[in-house]
Amino acid sequence: MAEILANSLRFHVHRLPAADAPGEAGATAVFLHGLVVDNLSSFYATLAVPAARDGHDIVLYDLRGHGRTERPPTGYDTATAVQDLTALLGALGLDTRPVTLVGNSYGGTIALRTALARPDLVAGLILIEAPLSGPWIENMLDTLSVAALDLEGSKVPKELASLGARKAARLTATADELLNRTSLIDDIAAGRVFTAEDFAQLRCPVLAVCGEHSELVPGAEELARHAPDCTIRVLPGLGHDVLQGGTDELRRVVLDRLAAAARPQPDAVTV
Amino acid sequence: MTTDPTAMRILAEITAMLVQTVGDEFLLAEEVTFDTTFNEDLALESIEFVALAELLRQRYGAAADLISFLAEKDMEEILALTVGDLVAHISGTPVSAPAA
Repeated sequence: MAEILANSLRFHVHRLPAADAPGEAGATAVFLHGLVVDNLSSFYATLAVPAARDGHDIVLYDLRGHGRTERPPTGYDTATAVQDLTALLGALGLDTRPVTLVGNSYGGTIALRTALARPDLVAGLILIEAPLSGPWIENMLDTLSVAALDLEGSKVPKELASLGARKAARLTATADELLNRTSLIDDIAAGRVFTAEDFAQLRCPVLAVCGEHSELVPGAEELARHAPDCTIRVLPGLGHDVLQGGTDELRRVVLDRLAAAARPQPDAVTV
Repeated sequence: MTTDPTAMRILAEITAMLVQTVGDEFLLAEEVTFDTTFNEDLALESIEFVALAELLRQRYGAAADLISFLAEKDMEEILALTVGDLVAHISGTPVSAPAA
């Protein structure tokens, strides 16, 4: 179960079966993490284990090239990320009933792109600090390009490894490979931001969570203006790091949303 | 050191899972005891703990009940656990303390 072949790639997947909750059917939620230095483990203790304890079925996976998933040289555009996710849902048998997608940072961008491309697969979106519109592509490219230059030919990973700082060595080595030996930066540069028309097409309920000081708040506000069913929650005192910096409040918001997703819709009740 | 055969068996199984998860160039099986901590001693990455959790689920199934064991802990607290803490949870009984 840990390794799933989908879209010709071996994905690292971790599923947390819902804890026993007699008489209550939970939601199924698939989590998408952020870029380059992130992987599925950032969700594990923060949201995934608590959600599973609340009776929800949780799927965590490492995005293409990240964590313990295979790292091919190409395919880091959002269209391929959507193909990866839909193939994975199929491989897991989760393409018969729509699921809630929970995306952090760039994972939220992929989640929203998936809801537009395959509305039949997505019951709801929870977007945590997702870059949606505005100059985020340029800003992110600046950051990633500087990091790539710093890492290119650097002996830092080897030096860290020899000092026994294995975790830091792994993290920088992964970042170096993604930034300097895959098409990730070019693929993000070729991406496009969402438009008001995109947001207006969303058919599922959307919850957007932002940090008060984040530069991504205007994008979330634009989403809330145009999407038919969007709630925005701004967490005070935080920037982009809502997941680690505001874990407790974020967890309450996300668990409330999943509980609402799990309740049967009034029009779905049959006699 | 405990001599409880169940705890010893689970320790050996978890050790094998750790070597499988981390790779034997980083972790030698003889380094792992009940007192070994995931973070301080093994420098286990969070993602490696999740991979270990997958192997535990495959081996021990729902009986391992990691969700209630870990539900109140953040990742730092999880990685501060010892292998013995995990063995004790899975065996359902505390690993006996070293003889005085």
